[in-house]
Amino acid sequence: MVLESETVFIIDLLAIFAIYVIINLSLNLEFGYTGIPNFGKVLAVGAGAFVAASIPGRIFAGMAGIEGDYITDNLAIVSQINMWLVDNTGIGFAIFFLTLGIAAVVGGGLGIITSYPAIRLRGDYLAITLLAFGESIRIIGNNFTPLVGGTLGVQVPDPLSFLPDEMRFPVATVGLVLIAAVVFIFSEKMVRSPLGRLLRAVRDNEVAAESLGKNSTQIRIRIIMVSAALAAIGGALYAFYVGGTIAFAYDRASWTFWPFLMILIGGLANNKGVLIGTLIFVTLRKIIIFYKDSLEGYVPFDAVWLDFLLLGIILLLILLYRPQGIFTEKPTATIANRFDTPKSGAKKLFNMLFR
Amino acid sequence: MVDPIFSDAIVFASLLALLSIGLTLTYLTTRVPNFAHASFATIGVYIALVATRIWEVSPYFSLPIAFVISGLVAVALYTFILKPLIRRRASQAIQMIATLAFDLVVIAMLNIFADFVVKTFQVTSREFTLRSYDAELAGLPMIVFVAPLTIALLALTLFVVLKKTKFGIAMRAATENSDLSETVGINVKMVYGVSWMLGGGLAGIAGALMSLWFQGDPNLGPLLIPSVFAASIVGGFMSIYGAIAGGVLIGLTEVLGTRFLAGEFGSWLIAYRPLIPLVFIVVTLMLAPRGIAGLKWSRLWRHGSRV
Repeated sequence: MVLESETVFIIDLLAIFAIYVIINLSLNLEFGYTGIPNFGKVLAVGAGAFVAASIPGRIFAGMAGIEGDYITDNLAIVSQINMWLVDNTGIGFAIFFLTLGIAAVVGGGLGIITSYPAIRLRGDYLAITLLAFGESIRIIGNNFTPLVGGTLGVQVPDPLSFLPDEMRFPVATVGLVLIAAVVFIFSEKMVRSPLGRLLRAVRDNEVAAESLGKNSTQIRIRIIMVSAALAAIGGALYAFYVGGTIAFAYDRASWTFWPFLMILIGGLANNKGVLIGTLIFVTLRKIIIFYKDSLEGYVPFDAVWLDFLLLGIILLLILLYRPQGIFTEKPTATIANRFDTPKSGAKKLFNMLFR
Repeated sequence: MVDPIFSDAIVFASLLALLSIGLTLTYLTTRVPNFAHASFATIGVYIALVATRIWEVSPYFSLPIAFVISGLVAVALYTFILKPLIRRRASQAIQMIATLAFDLVVIAMLNIFADFVVKTFQVTSREFTLRSYDAELAGLPMIVFVAPLTIALLALTLFVVLKKTKFGIAMRAATENSDLSETVGINVKMVYGVSWMLGGGLAGIAGALMSLWFQGDPNLGPLLIPSVFAASIVGGFMSIYGAIAGGVLIGLTEVLGTRFLAGEFGSWLIAYRPLIPLVFIVVTLMLAPRGIAGLKWSRLWRHGSRV
């Protein structure tokens, strides 16, 4: 069975969509709900990917008794690991989830470091400091070879290697979508809880929140930690999905600027907005790349630049003409709201979609 | 013969100073760190390329054109994007994202232009250098003298303009308190526009000069922007002289500091050079957020005086 190119297109689109949803939800928690301009989102994402690239492979190699230097003989070692994993699926999955856990812990730890400036600085100074943090991870990853193989990158072992080739990506996609759904529910629950209202209070009027006895410093630290942990899980999943990690792929544009763009298109502080914004962005980019070759004849330049141009212009238009995004921020439904249940089915559907 | 590392340090420090003067000029007016600033310099690089390789004139003739075109692009960013956002009281973070988006558009245009130049004129437009088109002076390329001279001239001109002319006084008033200056009849929007023109234009000049020493590429901006931010932040972000000092400090540290440390600890350190501006940014913002210009120098010199 060979998959049609359209099917491959949709499967890949959904997988990238799921990964970006996880990262964007975490950014929305930080920027949308709490107002922390994390211009260094790539720090946590990259950390997650680096964990996935450096830790599980070494564990597997130790368990399977494969000799050799993990970085220099990476290709050979990882292909041996993948063969070994075919017979040891259970261990493979156990280590996979352990890696996600380690990624979350490392991400959370980096979150604590990130929160050091975030509770002392505000506005542009904070944004620039976080940007500097985010930049540094790529430089370190690019040059410190034992981590992720420097400029050559490393392969990531594939816990799904027991599946036949044409089933591997569809199954991975289903798994990613499930994980993204769990993260979505988690973050919806979170922002609908009293904690969610506290986050907005800290964002909109920190002094007022503190006068009511809320500890805004603590809440900022916590939210940065949670968000960084989620982003790190997203990064680790991406590394597992594409089956490799290379440091220069973790740049400012892909993992900081695109997430900002997606949540701004969809609407800040609205998780449904995150879904729709991510879907629009991922689809648009995929379509441009998919039809790149057929565009080549019509435009006298590399069509890749069209997507930079288009996305930049779209973002500027959104910021200028619809700064609230597609879905606007809604007051969270409280207990009192649950009693005035809508009568008609249409109204119910409307509420489900837009409230 | 002078060690080429010193020429490298002089040129890089001067260009960073030039870029961070421009960034500071725009930051003074709108209080938004402009992520597209380094790409304005890339526009200058390409104007120098066109002048040298297509029109076949000396690269120095491209300086005024680079000033005008980069300046106009900066004014467009201010007028069509930042001004409406400020009018709607968008947050600083949103304004920064808007400059990032603008940067993206500029980079895309530069890449498209680079492809166009290759296809139409068969001229290398990526990873090119115009070093061989530079004149020579006392056995050194002219840029080594021109770059610091530009800074000196500019510092003098800006000093005279800001302190002695009516426009300069209006500009200082408008950046200090825009509402109050409007009440005394200063056209604040116009003054801000001129600041953006100057800021972008200076970046354009820096870019045109840069093409004579460093490799030109459409994606130069994002690589350069951390150093420019570091220079401006170390300089205090609000002072033009601070910006010059910051530019020189960061430029010299990046080039000479890396060389020195690599000599001490081994050449593997050279690859970590991009970390230097990041460290400067973080340390400055955490310890002395007002930078060099905010330090109380008089306290260091005169004991007992109240500052």
